[in-house]
Amino acid sequence: MYRNTNSPIISPYRILDLTEGGCMIGGRILADLGADVIKIEPPAGSLSRIAPFYHDKPDPEKSLYWFAYNLNKRGITLDISRNEGREIFKKLASTADVVIESFEHGVMQQYGLGYEDLVKTQPDIILTSIAFFGQSGPKAKFKGSDLTTWASGGFLFICGEPDRAPTWIGFPQASLHAGSEAATGTMTALWHRLNTGEGQQVGVSMQECVVACTFNTPEMWDLNRVEFKRFSQGMNIGTGGVRTTHVYQCKDGYVLMVMQGGVEPFVSSLRALITWMAEDGMAEDWLKEMDWAADYDASKLTQEKVDRVEAAVARFLLTRTKQDLYDNGALKRRILLAPMGTAKDLCENEQLKARDFWMQVEHPELGDTLQYPGSFVKVDGKGMTTGYRAPLLGEHNAEIYREIGLSADGLDSLKQSGVV
Amino acid sequence: MTDKVFEGIKIVEFAWVAVGPQTSKYLADHGATVVRVESHTHFDLFRGTSPFPQNKPGIDRSMFYGKYNADKYHATLNLNHPTGRDIALRFIQWADILTESFRPGTMNRWQLDYATVSKIKPKLIYFSTSMQGQTGPSKNYAGVGSLIAALSGFGEISGWPDRMPSPPYGAYSDYFCQRFAATMLIAALERRRRTGKGMWIEQSQLETSVYFNAPLVMDYAANGRVATRNGNRLPNAAPHGVYPCAGDDRWVAIAVLSEEQWTAFCGVTGMNAYQVEFKTLSDRKQNEDKLDELVCRWTAGRDAFEIERLMQTAGVPCNAVEKNADLLEDEQLKQRNFYVRLNHPQIGEAAFQQQADFILSKTPREVSRPSPCMGEHNEYVYKELLGMTDDELAECIASGCITTELPPAARFSANL
Repeated sequence: MYRNTNSPIISPYRILDLTEGGCMIGGRILADLGADVIKIEPPAGSLSRIAPFYHDKPDPEKSLYWFAYNLNKRGITLDISRNEGREIFKKLASTADVVIESFEHGVMQQYGLGYEDLVKTQPDIILTSIAFFGQSGPKAKFKGSDLTTWASGGFLFICGEPDRAPTWIGFPQASLHAGSEAATGTMTALWHRLNTGEGQQVGVSMQECVVACTFNTPEMWDLNRVEFKRFSQGMNIGTGGVRTTHVYQCKDGYVLMVMQGGVEPFVSSLRALITWMAEDGMAEDWLKEMDWAADYDASKLTQEKVDRVEAAVARFLLTRTKQDLYDNGALKRRILLAPMGTAKDLCENEQLKARDFWMQVEHPELGDTLQYPGSFVKVDGKGMTTGYRAPLLGEHNAEIYREIGLSADGLDSLKQSGVV
Repeated sequence: MTDKVFEGIKIVEFAWVAVGPQTSKYLADHGATVVRVESHTHFDLFRGTSPFPQNKPGIDRSMFYGKYNADKYHATLNLNHPTGRDIALRFIQWADILTESFRPGTMNRWQLDYATVSKIKPKLIYFSTSMQGQTGPSKNYAGVGSLIAALSGFGEISGWPDRMPSPPYGAYSDYFCQRFAATMLIAALERRRRTGKGMWIEQSQLETSVYFNAPLVMDYAANGRVATRNGNRLPNAAPHGVYPCAGDDRWVAIAVLSEEQWTAFCGVTGMNAYQVEFKTLSDRKQNEDKLDELVCRWTAGRDAFEIERLMQTAGVPCNAVEKNADLLEDEQLKQRNFYVRLNHPQIGEAAFQQQADFILSKTPREVSRPSPCMGEHNEYVYKELLGMTDDELAECIASGCITTELPPAARFSANL
């Protein structure tokens, strides 16, 4: 039976999830909200059962990546590249509200499972399709990957060191953006269906998801024909035409520091920082006398002024540790800084513990309980989901195929022929 | 003709900067009525953020503010004014959804927190977003998206292994938190339709961020491994990188993800797919430095878009690294109407970006009005939407509750 979360937000919409990779996060979000999400993978197992693995044992049933993005879903196997598989998929679709897929553009149509085909079995179906470039346009049929889409969306160009190739974020992000955007698109279409009874297709473009990350740089070009030159660790103050440095070395690592002026919260942050430096005898008079509202207004900045301030701050930061800067600088004095956190730092973060963020999820097959990120928002002051671990390969075949009227014998023969 | 998806949904927006305004803009671009409420005494940080036309700052001249506020209405209101709260409550009576992103505790100070206003209007959907949440020892943390991105681990894993971290540019966490939040708003509408219940959605941007690197955090918890940066490499692919091309700062990204693509890649570049150092994936991973060197030698001197064309024709994932100028001219984005050129009274003609990165086939996204100027819709909002009389409105303006200009001593400052 479909297992609901503690306090479901939405109705148990049945969602067939054919996505792979980071796109699987979309179904995860909707499952957290209370949808009945069925992850469908090929009989040989999904290609997204990848590293990192539990205890580093490369085993498709121990993929932490799979665990993270399939929590709270049920799972079945089905080969939709074969005719019998497609017929079964259509039967499933006739019981579903939504299908989410992330195949290359056109694959669903090739399988005879495009939107036009699915509406024949379920007239108000919502088909959410994630593709590198969406469902239409001259690049719709392009091959893609996380990295190449990061490039086509312009965000890659503005990140990295000036003397080397631009760099991405070392854990692939584009498909996660597209997957979570697919959840938003699906909810939008569901709301429309509630009001009108009408289903439709939702076409998510991963390229656009990446463009959305570009901060103000496309507008800098559009308005003032200023093309961005990446410079790794800082911020381009467009109004003054200067660059500020964000990343600094401290005693035991790195810290990110935002130093802008003109308005709050920047002015207070700089004042608090200089006061702190002065307590250590590390702020010269000119620094103490600086008017951070008037003199550090973006339109009054010169590179020379910025460099001089930053050099003084850099000397101070070297004398303190990450934890000290965070506790006594960021939290106590409200200085705009953050230590460059690691996975370890996150696990030890006091705030996340205090808010009861982490969720312990039982994995009986591993004889262990694993720590997961908990609810992505709190509802009425509480986390909104408990976790039921991601499905094992074909774990819910029997119950789900029974629901659509397949007999035990029928299922056996499908197993033998490799469809399930 | 189908109505727009969120036609009739009313949102009062006290939220500012990036996450809140982007969240409501999904609904605005699909037909919701969104009213931004700000005052001349406390206005959006992004009003002071470049770019400005001719690089001249002005309260209504920031296109960065424009980017996240098109399709919205604008009313001014000073919540610190003695009658500010009364007007806020009228907005709340009018609205289906309220958004706010003040420092935690600020709405309580005005007695406009969820516990208080939900007693007055139980059906209200109330969205609070903040850096680290409304509770806990770090609730007062002052920050922006670049800091949350660093804190949540995205800086550490970006850049080159032999250099310091090179964090994603700008305010990275601001660009996924809004996706989760918009989903929640619609989920709350769905629940309210069934149950009549309102909801308090409380987002800690730090917490939402962990969803985008969850497997790395679980890897530490289960295996003790701390992930770090590794250029543009990926464990199970080679070549996988960003390579130099002809021209000024031109690059191409290539990702060979299968043996089939490796053969196709070699077909394009003339490399020998079977040479012993590169024959299998594990050979290529072992000799990746050398492989990358050979790829660089082939790409250097060639045009990035020409390489993209050759690779795509052969079936290899590849894209030129687009500059900002390229994005504005990108044929794919153009055909999907991703940028919409509109005339703004203070900014002039500018490209306004769609909020949704999806297109609904029957009820597509649409940006139809430029971002509003301060108080541009005061008349419409206060009279038509809230039902104020002319006299009431005049009184509010005279008393300074509804602001019309910067306070006498104040000066408009740009911050970026």
